[in-house]
Amino acid sequence: MAEQEEKTESIKRTGRFTLYARRFMRRPSAVAGLVILLLLVLWATFGGMLTHWNYEDLDFASLGVPPNSDHYFGTTDGGGDLYAMVVRGLGRSLTIAFLSSILSTFIAAVYGVGIAYFEGLTEKVGMWVLDMLLVVPSTLLVAILVRSAGGTSGWLWLTIGLTIFGWVGLARVLRTITMSIRERDYVRAAKFMGVRPFTVILRHLIPNLGSVLVINTVLGVVSTVSAETTLSFLGLGIKAPDTSLGTILNEGQSVIVTQPWVLAIPAAVLIILAFSVQMIGDGLRDAIDPYSRSAGKAA
Amino acid sequence: MLRYVAKRIANYCVMLFVAITMTYFLASAFMDPRSNYMSRNPRPPMDSINHALDNANINDQTPVITRYVRWLTGVVTRWDWGKAPDQSSVGEAIVSRMGASLQLVTLATVLSIVIGVSIGVYTAIRQYKWQDRVLNSIATFIFVIPPAVLAVAVVFFAIEVNTVAGSRLFYVTGLHSYQGENFGLWFLDFLQHLILPTISMTLGGAVGYHLTQRTYLLDEMNADYVRTARAKGLTLNQAIRRHALRNSLIPTAQSVAFSIAGVFTGATVTESVFAINGLGRYFVTTIGQNDINGTVAIAAFSGVCTLVGALLADIVAAWLDPRIRLN
Repeated sequence: MAEQEEKTESIKRTGRFTLYARRFMRRPSAVAGLVILLLLVLWATFGGMLTHWNYEDLDFASLGVPPNSDHYFGTTDGGGDLYAMVVRGLGRSLTIAFLSSILSTFIAAVYGVGIAYFEGLTEKVGMWVLDMLLVVPSTLLVAILVRSAGGTSGWLWLTIGLTIFGWVGLARVLRTITMSIRERDYVRAAKFMGVRPFTVILRHLIPNLGSVLVINTVLGVVSTVSAETTLSFLGLGIKAPDTSLGTILNEGQSVIVTQPWVLAIPAAVLIILAFSVQMIGDGLRDAIDPYSRSAGKAA
Repeated sequence: MLRYVAKRIANYCVMLFVAITMTYFLASAFMDPRSNYMSRNPRPPMDSINHALDNANINDQTPVITRYVRWLTGVVTRWDWGKAPDQSSVGEAIVSRMGASLQLVTLATVLSIVIGVSIGVYTAIRQYKWQDRVLNSIATFIFVIPPAVLAVAVVFFAIEVNTVAGSRLFYVTGLHSYQGENFGLWFLDFLQHLILPTISMTLGGAVGYHLTQRTYLLDEMNADYVRTARAKGLTLNQAIRRHALRNSLIPTAQSVAFSIAGVFTGATVTESVFAINGLGRYFVTTIGQNDINGTVAIAAFSGVCTLVGALLADIVAAWLDPRIRLN
């Protein structure tokens, strides 16, 4: 008996995160998604150095030319180099999506867990506020917020807007999950020992939601990219002189017959981006919560 | 039941009021109708700018509280939703665009629900078989594509088809172009216009219903009562049809009721791509023109739609699920 115990002691234990990583790596689609996303990030960061064109430069000698050796992705009607624009736009979309997704998950976690922890009236009022914030479509509110922002600070306002109107749905979900965690013994113990509520929330409740939060942050990127593209496409998001993939799509829409590449290339980049993030998210969910049957469920 | 509904309605009214008030102040703070006039060349005299802004009750030199009270009085006493910066009435603009939105969205919504729920049930029953895997991959792929890309892609293929066919099979702008009296031709023309926006909206909508319905049904299929039914001797198909399917339709019915919320403003992208003059496009216009009253009216309208949807969802849930009704 004692021998056996010694044996188990010497065996190296597999940590939780090692286990997650191993499960994640076992899924080819998840690894593919991760590789593609990393390539996209690298491309968005350094891709601009591969061309001597800047996204703001206009080449009046070649208006609306198809892809060639000088303009890798061709040019737009006004002579903008599409390659430089797509690289810049991808960078913008990635920055906005990741920033806003992380921030809104954070707000949702603190709020959702908070109202569930305090229970009673706080929870009732908190839920009422959440429902109230869902009454008016968030697209509309974000559009109002971004309206007066200029070209250069537009992306910042868009990030803020997508964050402060994007956390509500997740907060509701987190509150429901917390309702079962708050009954656990260690939470009660901490509570009765006089630990301050905020400490309990940060130290005991939120870490237990870690997996949900990670998955939702990743999948939130997909929906934020979608929202950002939609707004910019409608002319309500990123505006000239700045550019994003949605803005380029909008430009390409009017020349769909004569210069299809202006439309096809940013569309393809967007699809690759969204799909790779979705594959990472699905992989993470299966790695963290292998019994979940909700594979492929809407974020 | 009646008391339950009445309580809900009262709650929703308060919610709507707070949400609209919030939108009004937000719009007043961030939208600047004065800039419409200041950027004109030659710039109109200050007096006339102020007069125009005052007339529409959107002058930023009047305290926002005064403007809000004036606006609220107009809405409550005269059902007057105010004026756009160009002095046209906001209420009339919305009413005139509702028809187009309704024509566009009705068919797409019905098709999304029917197609999406059927595929969801089909794939759930064949979980992990090749049909499920293929349909699920396609659905996930469509699900992540931003709606703008989807709509533009549909236009792209339609133009290709038109070119190949050598005649205009599909129209990519507007809802009507036939001017004559013949109803048959009018209807054909309407369909030729409607088919593309409907495809682009149905694709996105159906995928959502498919993925959620699949999850709901799978959850129910693994529940104890289905196992009991199987133990009683029912075949798997019978157990699913008589027990699991019915329960899994409750959350779907709720989201169907909720889809009313998106009926009017959910088509913004589709309306701009296909140049259809509906409410979604009006919303883009109001923001572009710094039309505070118009924006708030659109917000109020979609808020009412959301809450009507939520109320219907409550009623449907209470009707289908006795546990809620008895509470």
